[in-house]
Amino acid sequence: MATTDSDPGSAQRLDKETRETLVSVARHTILLTWSFVILFPLYWLASMSLKPPGQANTLPPDWVFLPTVYNYITLIQSSEFVAAFTNSLFMVSVSVILVLLIGVPAAYVLSRYDIPMERDVLVWILSSRMLPPIAVVLPFFLIFRELNLFDSRIGMILMYVSINLSLVVWVMKAFFDGIPETLEEAARVDGATRFQAFRKIVLPAAKPGIFSVAIISFIFAWIELLFGLVLTSFEAVPVTLFVYSFIGSRSIEWGMLAAASTSMILPVAIFLIVVNKYLAAGLSFGVVIKE
Amino acid sequence: MAEITIDDVTKRFGDSTEAVIAVDDVSLDIDDGEFVVFVGPSGSGKSTLMRIVAGLETQTEGDIEIGDTVVNQLGPRARNIAMVFQNYALYPNMTVEENMSFGLKMSTDKSSDDIEASVTSTAEMMGIEDLLDNKPGELSGGQQQRVALGRAIVRDPNVFLMDEPLSNLDAKLRTQMRTEINRLQNDLDVTTLYVTHDQTEAMTMGDRLVVLNQGELQQVGTPLECFYRPVNQFVAGFIGSPSMNFFRGTAQGGILQCEEFEYRLSERMQESVGSHGDFTIGIRPEDLELHAEAVDQNSFEVIVDVVEPMGSISYVYCRSEEQDSEETFVVEVDGKRPINEDQTLYAHIPSTDAHLFDNATGETLHQRKFDSEVRMASDQQFQSVDASSDSA
Repeated sequence: MATTDSDPGSAQRLDKETRETLVSVARHTILLTWSFVILFPLYWLASMSLKPPGQANTLPPDWVFLPTVYNYITLIQSSEFVAAFTNSLFMVSVSVILVLLIGVPAAYVLSRYDIPMERDVLVWILSSRMLPPIAVVLPFFLIFRELNLFDSRIGMILMYVSINLSLVVWVMKAFFDGIPETLEEAARVDGATRFQAFRKIVLPAAKPGIFSVAIISFIFAWIELLFGLVLTSFEAVPVTLFVYSFIGSRSIEWGMLAAASTSMILPVAIFLIVVNKYLAAGLSFGVVIKE
Repeated sequence: MAEITIDDVTKRFGDSTEAVIAVDDVSLDIDDGEFVVFVGPSGSGKSTLMRIVAGLETQTEGDIEIGDTVVNQLGPRARNIAMVFQNYALYPNMTVEENMSFGLKMSTDKSSDDIEASVTSTAEMMGIEDLLDNKPGELSGGQQQRVALGRAIVRDPNVFLMDEPLSNLDAKLRTQMRTEINRLQNDLDVTTLYVTHDQTEAMTMGDRLVVLNQGELQQVGTPLECFYRPVNQFVAGFIGSPSMNFFRGTAQGGILQCEEFEYRLSERMQESVGSHGDFTIGIRPEDLELHAEAVDQNSFEVIVDVVEPMGSISYVYCRSEEQDSEETFVVEVDGKRPINEDQTLYAHIPSTDAHLFDNATGETLHQRKFDSEVRMASDQQFQSVDASSDSA
């Protein structure tokens, strides 16, 4: 009987559908633009590393080219690159293990025990990140030289630990705060010691947080350049410094620079893929497991 | 199984200058196999007292004895207790089976086959045998509650401690689990301490109630004792829902003058109060009467403010014609009785059912008359508590 033209319900539905379509289009446009902004530099870097010498930084750029692994082969054949890469891998990995061994128990203690002036202790820990690195690099240089830590792997490991410790303590404290204390109390009533309750109940529950701070600490140490530049010369040179060496005062070796930079991304990417499932949960800072 | 003795236990939090007294000199003997409910409002110290028994808190003063052992210096693991927490505290990284077997692995030398057999039989008893491979996050609230109970039961402990275990459940499930915990406690006959702020739970579950307020022990008694024979105004107001109505007044020449009405004290009342001049009359909503006309000199005119129909009964909130304040009192009437808001009626306080409390101390000066049926029910409850203690 009634015509569809005059059906107000239909008009409303149409409006709703149109609105949803528009929202969807807008959302996809924003996401695509953002993806382009994020991914284009990576594409640019990878494509530059695969271009033959002389073609890497031409203007206008060569969009079509015959890919070559020449830069990568040259890189792998360079003993300096291999040394710097293994140096970084070793120093950063050890520093991450160390920072977790120190930071996670410290965060647990700060979360669970009544520490006198707890707030002050936390701010003091954070204060290590308050000064810009350039302001402290010279004192560090002098101290390292006095302690025979200059250009040593141990020195760089300690440096990476000091860079990441405050992050680990703060993030993990927030994470432990989100884990109900009754879990440990239940374990203690069940017959566990305080340490067993921490090891068997709290640590597994905190796994997402631990993986999160591990990956973030790894990245921070892996990309560190300034301290490496000042505190190393030959033995403990990190890969970032090696990459930086392609930027000369007169010329830049664009192809080699791009290949070295791309190689630098690989360990982080692999680590991220391996711990991805824990990372997503960890970024919610533990609230998800609070009942 | 074991009896528990709490001897002059005090717990202070904070340093000596600004200490908060959470538990104030509490002494209590709990019989073997008894089901005792600690009840009180928030901050009454009931959970702290239970945590002291568990060994999760250390008392500032006093002794805790479980069985024949003073356990002051022993940690929770050495006390052979099992506890059910308000949020269940199931280990999120473990399956239900691992949750249930964790305590046995930690506290006994049982072989893994024996542990598995214990877990399976307890899971069957709790009806959770199909959930053994699930993680806690995959379970509903009711299922988590069953697992938490199963985890406690499988340990076969000396004492069960339950800290508001039903408060996270919806009303229907709570009633169901209440019955189930009662049944389990009867079957297992293990000494049980149960903490709740819900007086309905307290009334329906415990052999004895321990009523606490601001860390102080108010009364220890059977639920009916606490209900019909409250030792003070706090217990009278806390036990029973809706709460007892209180009218504060001053007595002269056998007449209690309240803001709302004048009340002629019975001879029995006058004997009880003696020379006390200022006291409060307390009457439970189900004992107050509403009439169309005044029935005697102790009737007073009231206006109906709000009617809350509950089905078989209705709660009628009234205020006296005499009073200046907007404060109301509640009367329980038959649900089928037609009463409207703004209606004028006469309230009557039967002297046999009224309590009198000292205004200064809150102590009970006069108890209601205990009729024969109530006395019989109460006596039976006493006898069943004694029998269960004797047989154990």
